[in-house]
Amino acid sequence: MAPRTIAVGGGKGGVGKSLIAANLAVALADEGRSVVAVDADLAGANLHSCLGERAREACLADFLVGREPDLGKLVADARIPNLRWIGSGPVHAGFAKLRPARHAELARGLRALACDFVVIDVGAGVHPEVVDFFGLGDEGVLVLLPEPTALENTYGFLRATLHRRLELASPSEEAQARIREALDPRNERGLRTPLDLLRDLQSLGGDEAARCEDALRRFRPRLVVNQVRSVDDIRLGFSVASVCRKYFGLDAEYLGYVNYDDCVRRAVLAREPVVRAFPESDASVYLKRIARKLAASAPGAAR
Amino acid sequence: MAEQTHYEVLDVPRDAEPGEIERAWALAAATWAEDSLAVYSLFGAEDAAGVRERVELAWRVLSDPEARRDYDATLEAEPAAPEPPRRVFAAAAEAAPPAAELGPALRGLDDPDDEAEFAAFDGARLRRARLRRGLELDQIASITKINPTYLRFLEEEHFAGLPAPVYVRGFLVSYARCVGLEPRSVAASYMQRFFVATRASERAKPSP
Repeated sequence: MAPRTIAVGGGKGGVGKSLIAANLAVALADEGRSVVAVDADLAGANLHSCLGERAREACLADFLVGREPDLGKLVADARIPNLRWIGSGPVHAGFAKLRPARHAELARGLRALACDFVVIDVGAGVHPEVVDFFGLGDEGVLVLLPEPTALENTYGFLRATLHRRLELASPSEEAQARIREALDPRNERGLRTPLDLLRDLQSLGGDEAARCEDALRRFRPRLVVNQVRSVDDIRLGFSVASVCRKYFGLDAEYLGYVNYDDCVRRAVLAREPVVRAFPESDASVYLKRIARKLAASAPGAAR
Repeated sequence: MAEQTHYEVLDVPRDAEPGEIERAWALAAATWAEDSLAVYSLFGAEDAAGVRERVELAWRVLSDPEARRDYDATLEAEPAAPEPPRRVFAAAAEAAPPAAELGPALRGLDDPDDEAEFAAFDGARLRRARLRRGLELDQIASITKINPTYLRFLEEEHFAGLPAPVYVRGFLVSYARCVGLEPRSVAASYMQRFFVATRASERAKPSP
């Protein structure tokens, strides 16, 4: 059976994507699931340090440039039982551009891995390559911080992801043109929110409208608020989920929060996953809770 | 948003209990507040103010049983009401204190009580239970009438700052009730930690 593929992203750098991806992978492995963690952050690979591993020479870049056609051969055992991983390789600007055909092969390769979960750590930003890496996951986890800058980027990332999904779902030139037009916030059609765009596409009628609607319905990002310090910070997750429904027309799920905890910093400095280094710390309790919820939730929420 | 029903505006099902409506309204009010982090970058000030008005209107109608009944009647008169929004979160209502006592608390994440793996109730576990219920220390203080400094010391396990054991046990029972934990197990487990720590610190003191 194909594994569940879970992409962890979120637009802004430094919000804890790698940290959360790594610790979810470790927590799932500790629950007895077989997990492959994949570093898809080509511009800033550091999943290995969050996992407590050393960077390896064989890495995802080898597959992307065609040096190694078999993705399975790049998978390395981690020190933690049930956990394996694929690194992203040393920073190399040239790799970041990915040919569409290669991308499809990567998607197939990930689904062919023999495991229960593939956890994909996606880089920062809203570049098409990053958005497409996020799309590699059947399911998406968005990490955000209770800060204005992080939320601005989260929404920007959601918008980019949504447009990309609509674009992929609607092959007609008319629809493609409307999607491109809607990217300009001052477009002449008066399409202000992604929800407006969907309604506009629906007016085209027929098969295409149904496909767009389906693409949106299947995309159910799960939200994790990192570094919470107060009840207001926790509440923010509910607010963002509500805004996702009202503005983006997306059924987002608030998966959970991780508190601001000095143990996280100490674990990072020790290059250990916090759920292993400080298993009883607040942050570990929250991270393990999120992993359990993820494992118990219905698979394939978004593709 | 103009064409949405009051229920859709507040994101609650048509048969929502009053407590659920109140929680939904509190969340919507916080989401669309003037300085809200969640909306400022997507909606202009005017749009947000418009939504706030819409939220308040929905709350005025749905919080008044008579007005709600009349409104429901007008909805039923309309042909084929649209499906209510799918409920993503289960309201953590079962064990929650009545809304009137607490004011609108946070709508809970449908987290299971998954901390049975930890045998002891320590300060951090108390705090996690409190945050799950969406309560700040001040709110617990005003319900229990316990000095908020003592409540903070309980969570931080600053044992030297706490009064005599009999009072601490009383604090724990009130705190546990407030956050939906079983008072007796909490008090027994925490007091054990308290005694072990205070005895150790007494032994460490130089004898007079």
